[in-house]
Amino acid sequence: MADVDMAAEVNGSGHPWAAKSVEGWIIVVTGLNEEATEEDLQDLFGDYGEVKNLSMALNRRTGYVMGYALVEFAEKEQAEKAIKDTDGTTFLEKTIKTDFAFAKAPAGGRSRAPADGARRGGRDREASPSRR
Amino acid sequence: MATSELEKDPFYLRYYTGHQGMHGHEFLEFEYAHGRIRYANNSNYRNDSLIRKEMFVGPVVVEELKRIVRESEITKEDDVAWPKKNVVGKQELEVRIDKEHISFETAKIGSLADVNESSDAEGLRVFYYLVQDLKCFIFSLITLHFKIKPIQQ
Repeated sequence: MADVDMAAEVNGSGHPWAAKSVEGWIIVVTGLNEEATEEDLQDLFGDYGEVKNLSMALNRRTGYVMGYALVEFAEKEQAEKAIKDTDGTTFLEKTIKTDFAFAKAPAGGRSRAPADGARRGGRDREASPSRR
Repeated sequence: MATSELEKDPFYLRYYTGHQGMHGHEFLEFEYAHGRIRYANNSNYRNDSLIRKEMFVGPVVVEELKRIVRESEITKEDDVAWPKKNVVGKQELEVRIDKEHISFETAKIGSLADVNESSDAEGLRVFYYLVQDLKCFIFSLITLHFKIKPIQQ
């Protein structure tokens, strides 16, 4: 299991698979109350460090919160602590999930897709757009 | 679900919108498969060039993508009565989820007025809103991960 192999990595973090984004560490929050606001999220996550970016989408059809948000911290430790403290907890009467949004490429590179990936009629993803 | 399990998960999602025109083949496409999101955007207008990005995402992002697709109930729809692709271009949506597999093709939709004129307005509306919600999610991920602004088509 790749996850186990990588656990021996530096800093002994609980999320060895998490990947850093260009300017920081992004966590994803799901299960949000449809009336949650960005201020609510600021209040929740601001305790763990400066929230560098916060993006919360609205449902295009209803205008309510879609249910997810992306939150950026500068340091992995801040993101990690935020995840540890908030994942599976109740926030505005709803159980939320929090985790790192991005993962490192799996060891072994790009060709790890299982055989059923070939079911797309043998199309070459790299070339397909120009053939249209 | 651990990240390693995502590689075996058959969930698949692809969206394409594009056309051939005076600026060549201009399109936007994103695809999710096996923990990886790929994004391509080609606009030749004013010599803009092809942008390709790929990123691996964690299990909670994938669960949310699935939830958005499931809650839309897009797999209950059928594209048979939707507007056919035309000179303005086309859109394609392919999804494999929970033993369902759909592959839809339709014309570009300019606004909700186009949707309401369709003989299957209800189905097309499901498609229209799902595409917007998916684009919004994927673009938010790209914007935060790479600090670039995807071009809206």
